[in-house]
Amino acid sequence: MSPLRHKLLRDIRTQRAQFTAVIVTIFLGVTMFAASYDSYQNLSTSYESTFTEFRFANLTVAGGDVTGFADTAAGRSGVESIELRTVADVPMQVGGLKLLGRVVGLPAETQPSVNQVRVASGRYLSSAQPTGVLVEEHMADHFELTPGSSFEILGPSGWQTVTTSGTASSPEYIWPARDRQELLTTPDNFGVAFVPEPLARQLAGTSTPNEAIVYFSGGADNEALANLLLTEAADSGATVSFTRDEQPSNAALSEDLKGFEELAVFFPMLFLTAAALATYVMISRLVHAQQPHIGVLLANGFTRRQVLAHYLGYGVVPGLVGALPGAVAGVLMARIITGFYTSMLSVPVTLVQFYPATLVAGVAFGLITSVLAVIAPARSASRLAPAEAMRGTVPAGGGRPSIPERIAPPLRRLPIPWRMALRGIERNPRRTVFTVLGVVLSLTLVLVSWGMLDTIVNLMDRQFVEIQQEDATVYFTGPVESGDVADLGQLPGIAEAEPVLQAPVVLTSGERYETALVVYETDTTMHRFFGEDGERSLPTEGILVGQAVGGLLDIAEGDVVALTAAGATIEVPIAGFVNEPLGTMAYVSRSYLEQATGFDLPATSALIRYTEGSDLASVRAALVERESVAAFEDANALYDTVQRYMILFYVFVGVMLVFGGAMAFALIFSAMSVNIAERTREVATLLAVGTERRQISRMITAENMMVALVGIPLGLGAGYLAAKQAMASFNSDLFAFDLYIRPSTLVISGLAILVVALLSQWPGLRAIGRLEIAKIVKERSL
Amino acid sequence: MAVSLTNVWKTYGEGPTAVHALAGIDADIPSGDFTVILGPSGSGKTTLLNLIGGIDDVTSGDLVVEDEKLTGLGTDERTAFRRNQVGFVFQFFNLIPTLTATENVELVANLTMHDGSERAIEVLKQVGLGDRLDHFPAMLSGGEQQRVAIARALAKSPPVLLCDEPTGELDFETGRLILGLLRRLNREQGQTVLLVTHNAAIGEMADRVVRLRSGEIVEDRRIADPIEAGELIW
Repeated sequence: MSPLRHKLLRDIRTQRAQFTAVIVTIFLGVTMFAASYDSYQNLSTSYESTFTEFRFANLTVAGGDVTGFADTAAGRSGVESIELRTVADVPMQVGGLKLLGRVVGLPAETQPSVNQVRVASGRYLSSAQPTGVLVEEHMADHFELTPGSSFEILGPSGWQTVTTSGTASSPEYIWPARDRQELLTTPDNFGVAFVPEPLARQLAGTSTPNEAIVYFSGGADNEALANLLLTEAADSGATVSFTRDEQPSNAALSEDLKGFEELAVFFPMLFLTAAALATYVMISRLVHAQQPHIGVLLANGFTRRQVLAHYLGYGVVPGLVGALPGAVAGVLMARIITGFYTSMLSVPVTLVQFYPATLVAGVAFGLITSVLAVIAPARSASRLAPAEAMRGTVPAGGGRPSIPERIAPPLRRLPIPWRMALRGIERNPRRTVFTVLGVVLSLTLVLVSWGMLDTIVNLMDRQFVEIQQEDATVYFTGPVESGDVADLGQLPGIAEAEPVLQAPVVLTSGERYETALVVYETDTTMHRFFGEDGERSLPTEGILVGQAVGGLLDIAEGDVVALTAAGATIEVPIAGFVNEPLGTMAYVSRSYLEQATGFDLPATSALIRYTEGSDLASVRAALVERESVAAFEDANALYDTVQRYMILFYVFVGVMLVFGGAMAFALIFSAMSVNIAERTREVATLLAVGTERRQISRMITAENMMVALVGIPLGLGAGYLAAKQAMASFNSDLFAFDLYIRPSTLVISGLAILVVALLSQWPGLRAIGRLEIAKIVKERSL
Repeated sequence: MAVSLTNVWKTYGEGPTAVHALAGIDADIPSGDFTVILGPSGSGKTTLLNLIGGIDDVTSGDLVVEDEKLTGLGTDERTAFRRNQVGFVFQFFNLIPTLTATENVELVANLTMHDGSERAIEVLKQVGLGDRLDHFPAMLSGGEQQRVAIARALAKSPPVLLCDEPTGELDFETGRLILGLLRRLNREQGQTVLLVTHNAAIGEMADRVVRLRSGEIVEDRRIADPIEAGELIW
């Protein structure tokens, strides 16, 4: 090994703490990149393979003349298969629990040509067993339904017992969403059973299929064909039609994938930038301190290129040492994450692959970052004039009062240690800037993670506490007179019951938007409506729609849209827009809609409010045992379910906070170690003249904390903007993720960074105690 | 007696690699003396100065400075000793670049008094820097920087002033000026001055010259008729 390489390795060993900090930061950045990017790739591939293997529909059309639509579509070039089937939302009873489930018709004996299922246990449907059904895995797991167990489904002729032939997963229900407007469900209120088509029709009370599913040639995307068929579907009176991308489960999974994609770019970028800053600060100081050595090398005939290469080595080593294990760890982590994810979601096909490109890219990112960081100091080392370098230089910095002192001259009367701290900040402006940037990056990382958490918690509270006011929803087995709902209010434990009608509708104004229309009492107390200008009441005329619809249909308040439901269309004015975090529904008052349609409208469900102190179990039992009640849904159940899912989120945010803390520590530790190293002679001199160590520590701490304090407001601002950007990327017509960060989050984050800064200077301050005063005061200043 | 050394040893390392920087030094330095310690590199002169200044600890023997026994003192006691009893002047000045001349001196003056600003100005004027009070080190010449360093050493009015190669970084003329200043302050204020140098000519201006070689005193003589610093030639 060449002597220069020995020097390189020994220098690194001497400054092992600082190099370790940089290496750990690179390791974390590369690990996050490889783990999230490979998870993203694995999940994408798993979904894609599932879609191909199980022939996931490119287009789904429901309502209207689906048979006619299918006949036309079959003749279109690019259409490989079309299936007609019956899908119906029907009450189910498993054990003592009633839920509003869904039956999906499948051909017996053979899999359909579109939207096939994977039989996980038991066997596929058989014509020999007309009431044998396949239970979708989420429902089967929740209710512990296994082959041979039975449950009941309500049809027009009453409750019918069906037997579980097997359990199955399907590309349509990887994420068990009821529809696009209701992506969040709980197993207690939604479950899917795949049943023989004749049974599906019988349970739905229909003699013809009500849904067509279309598979394009090879399952490939074909936008032009999809648009053509969507137009034809609309012409055939379809009430629901969506492409593969819009399919509820797939739309939800896409949001999730987007999260991984974002993780794969945003967070690693933060870490690698932090590592680059720390490396730059450290190597700049090293080059400065080694000027005489560099002078000697150059004077003895080393070429500038050799010197450049030598100092670039200080980037190559930590880059490789951090990035190589980081990339390997990330790739391994991705396998675990993918497996965990796909098993949790019951993805039919899990593909965990090794992507050499991720490994190479991870190592390359780490290495390039680290090398880029040392280019400037390495170049300055190679350009030194030997004689000058060997002579050493005048102590750096100083020479004038600090900016605050120049702006506010009374500051010049501050105690000298404070003046030293103020001027110290400007002494090495570049390092100060980098330290501030480090604080900014750390806070950005923390706030993006924590901001997501705050936003989700706030979003849930807004939806389930502020907007939805009911304690429970009761679903009826069929439409009931709204007056009958009032009877429920007489039951013990129920203070109030309001009828609600919910139906799928299509809003058209040039473009069309499929959603659900919810009909409330005009003076409803079960739902609050919030628009741009605050809370408002349900209008006596016209409909309220979610804000996203305004943009999608390009409509404004007062515009008239066509509202189509059950084959009938009426013109309704837009009375206003509501801003709701989940879903984009349309709301109308019962009195207005009855007047507009000329019909007395029934209720499909009732919203219930309990009396104070009522026994919820008995209320539930009393409601469920009524013939007309198909299902009961406690409003808190969904909220609680989401809260349970949030545990994963808390873990994620916790990990990010630890990572953010580690990154902040690494960065601030590097900067502060250099800061203290640069002061060694001053500190030794002060010690020699009798200054107490405590006093010196206080002076250095004051300066370092001032730098951190400069960075904190900037970091809070940058973090807020980054978090806003991150949340906005998840926005769609189905979700409105308006960033919300609690003030306490900002305060705690800022304080946490200060604590990290305080801790990170601890090793440097301890080193003061080990200074060899006698030796240092004799040395030439560098 | 300002300084009293009895069989003082300073050893670095242990066993066969041990180096005796000082090997059984015995010396008494009376108060008010201007003593020059001479010797080649590695003779132990700086080590001796560091021991007297309390920034290093003796390996064995007794060392008493201004009636304070330094042997076995703890870190805090040693810091207090340095604060009250000695002032240092270093070869490389060791000024804090972000502080003005006055602030550099005041910082040290504040160690022993509530508000050292007046004292700082007073000593800076004594060393002839009354017109450089608000200058930062980078704006001062080498000689001026060393004068600030001397003012800093004087600010606490220590009874003992320890100067380690104070002219090492200065040109001949400036060096003589600094030595003259140190001698004047010694005469006017009665401070004990110990000046370490390898420049034998400087011994001519001292009251006493102690010559070291390999950690031992090889010569200790009083100068009967010291010359003025301005007459020194080297």
